Amino acid sequence: MTANRRQFLTNVSLGAGATVLSPMLARLHAEAGGAAPAKRVVFVVEGNGVPWHQIQPKGIERNKNLIASGTYTGRSGGVREGVCDVPLKDHDLPAALDPVSFVKDRVTVLQGLSGKMCGGGHSSDFGALGAFTSKGPPAGPTIDCALGKHLGGVFPHVGLGMTERPGDTVVYNCSAVAAGTAAPTQTNPALAYQALFGSAAGGAAKKAFDSRKPLLDHLAADVKRAEASLAGPEREKLQGYLRAFETMRDRHGKLVEMEATLKKNAPPVTDKFTSAVETDRLDAQFSLAGAALVSGLTNAVTIASGAGNPYFSVRFKGLGITLDKHSIGHGGGFEGKTADELSTTIRRFHFELIARLVKTLQGVKEGNGTMFDNTLIVYLSDGAEGHHSRCWEWPAVLIGNLGGALKTGRYLELPGHGAKGHKHIGNLYTTFLNAAGDQRETFGQPDQILGGDVDQKGGVAELLA
Amino acid sequence: MAARSHALVVPFVALAAALAAVPVHSADPPPAGAAPDAAGFKGTVQPFLTAHCVRCHNAKKAEGKLDLTALGADLAAGKGADAWQAVADRMSAGEMPPEGAKQPDPAAIKAVTGWVERELAKAGKTGATAPGSLRTGNHVPHHLLFGPDAGKAPLDNPPRLWRVSPFIYAEAAKAFKGLTLAQPFALPPGDGFKDTAAVGGLDESTTAQLMRNAETIADEQLALRKVANKKPVKELAPLLDPAPTRAQIDAAVQYQFQLVLKRKPAADELKRFAELYAAAAKLGGPEGGARAVLVAVLMQPEASFRSELGLGAAAGGKRVLAPREVAFAVAYALTDRAPDAELLKAADTGKLATPADVSREVARIFADPKADKPRVLRFFREYFGYGGATEVFKDAKPFPAHNARGLVEDTDRLVRDIVAADKDVFVELFTTNKSYVHHTTTERDRKQVADALAKYEEDKKKDPAKAAAKGPPNLESKRSYLAYGLSDFPASQPVELPKDQRAGVLTQPAWLVANSENFDNHAIRRGKWVRERLLGGTVPDVPITVDAQLPDAPHKTLRERMEVTKQAYCWGCHKRMNPLGLAFEQFDHFGRFRTQEQVTVEATDAKGKKTTALKLVPLDTSGLVDGTGDPAVDGPAPSAVELVRRLAKTDRARQVFVRHAFRFWMGRDENPGDARTLMAADQAYLKSGGSMRALVTSLLTSESFLYRTAK
Repeated sequence: MTANRRQFLTNVSLGAGATVLSPMLARLHAEAGGAAPAKRVVFVVEGNGVPWHQIQPKGIERNKNLIASGTYTGRSGGVREGVCDVPLKDHDLPAALDPVSFVKDRVTVLQGLSGKMCGGGHSSDFGALGAFTSKGPPAGPTIDCALGKHLGGVFPHVGLGMTERPGDTVVYNCSAVAAGTAAPTQTNPALAYQALFGSAAGGAAKKAFDSRKPLLDHLAADVKRAEASLAGPEREKLQGYLRAFETMRDRHGKLVEMEATLKKNAPPVTDKFTSAVETDRLDAQFSLAGAALVSGLTNAVTIASGAGNPYFSVRFKGLGITLDKHSIGHGGGFEGKTADELSTTIRRFHFELIARLVKTLQGVKEGNGTMFDNTLIVYLSDGAEGHHSRCWEWPAVLIGNLGGALKTGRYLELPGHGAKGHKHIGNLYTTFLNAAGDQRETFGQPDQILGGDVDQKGGVAELLA
Repeated sequence: MAARSHALVVPFVALAAALAAVPVHSADPPPAGAAPDAAGFKGTVQPFLTAHCVRCHNAKKAEGKLDLTALGADLAAGKGADAWQAVADRMSAGEMPPEGAKQPDPAAIKAVTGWVERELAKAGKTGATAPGSLRTGNHVPHHLLFGPDAGKAPLDNPPRLWRVSPFIYAEAAKAFKGLTLAQPFALPPGDGFKDTAAVGGLDESTTAQLMRNAETIADEQLALRKVANKKPVKELAPLLDPAPTRAQIDAAVQYQFQLVLKRKPAADELKRFAELYAAAAKLGGPEGGARAVLVAVLMQPEASFRSELGLGAAAGGKRVLAPREVAFAVAYALTDRAPDAELLKAADTGKLATPADVSREVARIFADPKADKPRVLRFFREYFGYGGATEVFKDAKPFPAHNARGLVEDTDRLVRDIVAADKDVFVELFTTNKSYVHHTTTERDRKQVADALAKYEEDKKKDPAKAAAKGPPNLESKRSYLAYGLSDFPASQPVELPKDQRAGVLTQPAWLVANSENFDNHAIRRGKWVRERLLGGTVPDVPITVDAQLPDAPHKTLRERMEVTKQAYCWGCHKRMNPLGLAFEQFDHFGRFRTQEQVTVEATDAKGKKTTALKLVPLDTSGLVDGTGDPAVDGPAPSAVELVRRLAKTDRARQVFVRHAFRFWMGRDENPGDARTLMAADQAYLKSGGSMRALVTSLLTSESFLYRTAK
C-alpha cells in the first residue's frame, strides 16, 4: 500500500459513501491539498431595518457626487453617481459593527443597493432574500435556499429564528424553496436541536430515531398506493406528500452515517435553548448554526432575528431594553437612550454573536486555512433601510470572502437608484450565486422602475475578487 | 391527530376500481413540453390581436410597455409566458380591450384566453394555469350567474382533495390536553377566504412538522413522555410488551384507526401494520414498534386530506358524493370537527343520501347549542376582513385609548347578534346603528377611571398642595368609548349610535382601522373592498411598474394627495375605488366619526423658529356610487353612511354577498355551472325573510356541494 493520505482521501471521496461523507471528506480532502472545500453561507436577517448611518465606517463620508433629484417620488437629496471604494484598514468600524473589527480585512460595508421590486413597508418578508415583491406568498426561491440547493448538504438549508413569543416553534416569512413554497424558520432552539442533532442522542431517543426508518418506508408506500388511484392536480397534491417522505427517508440514512460526527459537534444544550428571554434564544440559535456548519449538516443557514411581519416589533429584554422595536423605529427613547442608541445596542449584540460564529469557524481547520475562509456571512434587514422602508437603499454588511471569491476589507458604495451602474439586491444575490459557482445571470424579479435603461443582468462586479 | 380524522367508507387505496371511472379533471391541461399550437395562434389568436389590440400594443406605441407584435406563439421558446399570462388575465377580467373601444364577442375572448392557458401549460407554467386560475370569482360576469340568461351551463365541479385547514388541525389537537403541538399548516396570507380546496399539498417542511406532532401524540398515548402517574391507553398497552401477539397488534391498530380515521382497517391494512410493527420493533424495541404503528395511522393521507371525489352513483354527467364524503363535508362546512356520531350513523345507515337528508342534518347542527359553529363567524370575519385591525400599527400618541383587539371583539359580537337573530341579515350588517363599545373591557376601564378619580379627590383632601402639583390622573388610555364618539362609558350594550354616523360593519371602527394605514385612512383599500365585495367588480393588482405611494404632503388632505391618481395611466383603475373609498373620509384612521379634518402646516414658534402645527380644514365626505345596475341607486353619495345604506338595498349587492358565501362554503370560486345553486340560495334567503341559515342550508344541499363532474 503506497498510497499516501491524499490519494486515500481522493479515492474514498469518490467511493460509495461519498454522498454522506462528502461534507466531512471535503474538508479532509482540502486539508490534504485536494479540491476546493465546500463553500458556506450564513444570512443574518435582523428585522426593523438597517439605517445606513449605523453601519457607516468612521471617517468615510457618503458619496456626495449627486446628480439632480430623480424623477421618482419619495427620493430626495438627488441620486448618487459613481462608485466609492475605500479600504477599511484606515477606518474604524462604527459601534454596531465593532465586534467584527478583528476580521476587518474580511468585512465589506455595502451601501447604495436598492430593492424596489420588494415594495418595502415594515418588512419585505420573503421578498428581502428573494428580490421579488413582498406581496403574497413567495414569488420564487430566496437566495439562502437557492445557494443551499446549489451548495448541497444533508439539510440544503437550515432556517433558524427568534420571535418574541417563546411558544412559536416555526414561522414562515423569510425563506422560500420555490415560488409558493416557503421554507421554515425554526424559532424554538430546543426543537431545532432535536431536528438537527437528534440522531446523535443516546438511549431511548436513539431507538426512536432508528425505528423511524421502517416507518418512513411504510408511509411512503401508503401514499404511493393512494396516489396511484388519482390523476391530475389532485394526484400532484399526494405526490408532494410522497416526495416529502422520500426526502425524509434519504436524510435519515445520511444522519445515521453521520452519527459520530454529530455527537462530536452537537452544541451543549444550555438553559438558553428554552429561555423566555429573546436574546438567550437568539444566542442559542447562533450556537446551533455554528455546530450545524461545523458538523457538515448544511452549507446554508439563515438566522432571522425578529424578521418579517408581524415579528419585527420584538423586544430585546435581555439587553435591558423593554421598549419594542416598533416603538424604537418610530423614534421612541428608553431610559435616557435615544432610538438610535437603542437600535445600535441591539445591532451590536447581533455583531457580537456574528463575531462568535466567526471564531467558531476559525477554530476548525480546513485546507490550508479554516472554515471561515470558505464562508460568507451576510447581514441585512428584511426592512431594508428603515422602519418604514421604501427600499431605495438596502444597506448590507458582508463578512468573509467565500473561499477568496469576494474582495473584502473595504467600504463599497454603489451608484444610487437611477444612476449609471446602479445595482439592486437581485444583482447582489446573483453575485453570491456566481461566487459560489452557479453562473446564472439574474436572480429574483427586475426593478420595473429602472426600466430598460439600466442593465439589470449580472452581479455586482465590484464585489468579486 | 385523533379527531383530525375523516375518512371514506373505503380507504384511499381501495378506491382504484371506483376511481377508474372518475375523471379527475374535466379539462386536464396538456402535458408540459407538447408542441406549440401554431395553427391555433394563426387561426384564432393573431386575427383577434390584429383586430383589437395591436393598435396600441405595437412596437412603436407599446402601451403599458407591451408590444404584442413581438410575442411569439411558442411560449417556452419565446420567453413571453409572463406577458401572455397578463394578456389573458386582463381579457378575462374584461379590462381589455378598454372601455370605449370596440368590444369583441365573449366567445372570441374565451377562444384566445383558452389558447393562452393551454400554451402556458405546455410551457410548464402549470402553477399559473390550473384551469380557471386566470380568473377570480368576480371575473365571471354577474349576468351569467343571476337572471334570465343564467342557469343553463352544466355543472363544472371536478373531484378534489382538500387539505385539512389549520383550524381543523388545531381543534383536533385539543383532544390531547397538555401537549404542545405546533401548527403544521398555513393558509395563504392576505385578504379574503383562505381555506380553499386549491391550497396545495403537503411539502416537506409541513410533513416534517406533522410527523413531529404525530410522534409527540404517540408518546403521549403510550405514556413514554415520562409524566408521573401516566399510563398507556389500555388498548395500546400490549404493544409495549416484549412480544405482543398478532391479535393484540390488530386490536391496537383498530383502536387507532377508529380514533383517527373513524373507520375499521381492512384486512390487508392490518397485515401491513403488523409488518411495520415487527420491522420497527427490531430496530427500536417494542417502544419503537408501537410508536411507528401509531404514527403511521396519524400520518395516513386520508387524515391530512379531505376527500371529495364523488364516490356515489353516477348519472347525467355527474357523481354524487358518497354518504361518508357528505358527512365530512357537512361537518367541516359548519364546524372544525370531524362528523359527530349522529352524522356518521346517518351516513352508515343510508340516511344521508338525499338533499332532504342533508338539510335535516344541517338543521340539527344549527339547532344544537352544544355544537360550536365557528365557520359561520369566520365567514363574516374573512368576508369583511375587520380582524385585520389588529395588524395595523398605530402610534398611541394621537389616540391613547385605541385598542384594536377590543374593536374587533365588538364587531364580532355585533355580527354574532345579527346572525343569531337571523332576520334580514345582509341588510342589518350594512345598516344597523347598534354597536358594542369595547364590551370586553368596559367594566374594567370604568372601574379604573372611577377609582383613579376617587383617589385623586381623596389626595386633594389630604394634601391639596401635593395633589395640585401632581395634577389629575391621566386616564386617556382608558376612555375607550371615545372610539365610538360617546362621552362616557355606556350603561348597557349594545348601544344605539347616531344613525347619521354609523351604518353597519363598514362604519365600525374595526373595519375602518383594518382598512387604514399607520397614520392615515386608506381610501383606496376601502373603495376596493366596496367595489369587489358589494358590487362584484374587479380591480387589477397594482402594476409592478408603479411605485404606488401617495406624495408625502402633510399640509394636504388625503383627498388632495390622492389627486395624483387622476393621471390617465392611474385613473382607469382608481376611478373604480377612489369615489367609493373617499366617502369614508367621514371617519379618521382610528375609526372615529369626524366633521373636520386635520392637516399639518408650517408655523413659527415663540422664538421665531420654524416648526409645524396642526390646522383644522373642512371635511369633504362626498362619494359616488356606480355599477349597481340600478339607476335609482347609482349617483353621488354625500357620505359613507348614505352610500352603504343605499347599496344594502340593492339586489346586486345582496347577490354579490351570496356569491361570496358560495366561495366560502364551497372552497372554490363560482363558475357559470353554479348559477342554479346561486339563484336558489338567493331565493332561499329572500323567502326566509333574510335568514343566513336558510342561505347556508341551500348551499349545502345544492348540486354544487353534493356532486362532482363525471365524464
